[in-house]
Amino acid sequence: MTVLLETRRRDAFGDLELSLMTIETPEESTPVEPVPAVEPEPSVEPAHTDDVRALFEEQALQYMDQLYAAAMRMTKNPSDAADLVQETFVKAYTAFGQFQQGTNLKAWLYRIQTNTFINNYRKNQRNPYQGTIDDLEDWQLGGAESVTQHSTTRSAEAEAIDHLPDSAVKDALQSIPEDFRLAVYFADVEGFSYQEIADIMKTPVGTVMSRLHRGRRLLRGLLAEYASDRGIAAAPATGRKK
Amino acid sequence: MTDCGCDKAKAELEEYIHNELTRGEAEDIAEHMANCESCTGEHLVGLTLTNKVKSACNEKAPVDLRAEVLAKLREIQPTA
Repeated sequence: MTVLLETRRRDAFGDLELSLMTIETPEESTPVEPVPAVEPEPSVEPAHTDDVRALFEEQALQYMDQLYAAAMRMTKNPSDAADLVQETFVKAYTAFGQFQQGTNLKAWLYRIQTNTFINNYRKNQRNPYQGTIDDLEDWQLGGAESVTQHSTTRSAEAEAIDHLPDSAVKDALQSIPEDFRLAVYFADVEGFSYQEIADIMKTPVGTVMSRLHRGRRLLRGLLAEYASDRGIAAAPATGRKK
Repeated sequence: MTDCGCDKAKAELEEYIHNELTRGEAEDIAEHMANCESCTGEHLVGLTLTNKVKSACNEKAPVDLRAEVLAKLREIQPTA
């Protein structure tokens, strides 16, 4: 019984995690503690440990700041973000033998981190829309209706966005649905292609486009709202402030 | 005046900003924008949004994290 449940739970993990899991002992019965797989990865060449480690440290660790910044947008707090990044590197290192040299290492690391986040952290967060967010109609998402209507000129809107404090942008990002937020993050901050984002998020490219579009629209609405609340440059050009 | 290419351009602006269009498609948009204030404005807002999100999210990992990760990796024997 327990074994069955355990297996099903693990099916939710991605391919990589699945293959990682297979090297754990079947008796392992503490579902709260995923990985760290200390057992040898069968497909890793019996090369010198030091060589593998050196290669991994040289190639992968340079992405630490980026992975951390992404982890902050995922977990929303520094301590969980640090844990997530650490877990990501441990998993990546353990599975490094499966990484195909010459392919995009950064995207591979992001895939591991995104999987880890979704499987280990997201289920702890309350998210009533989980799994259905892509099906919601625009009006159900709310927020951004004013964008296309309001009378501000677009150059004024751009200027207002430009003048917003970083904290306002992060707050706005944090308040949009997670799948949208991650798509926006991957495209706008990391510059991943739609196909790469589709691979990372395990979703069709069409869904990526929709998430991006809706995420950016919500973001734009929130930022416009914030700017007009604070009187930041977005008011219809009635008077010039000096 | 909706048949001047605006609908198509606006629909593809986001892909344009993210470099997802073919060269031909991108050229069409650029050409359209050269004569369309409205689409140029939309492009500017979209581009500003991208740049703003990018700069706002620029964050450094805590200094200890690197050492912690290195220590953790050294505990693991991938070929033990």
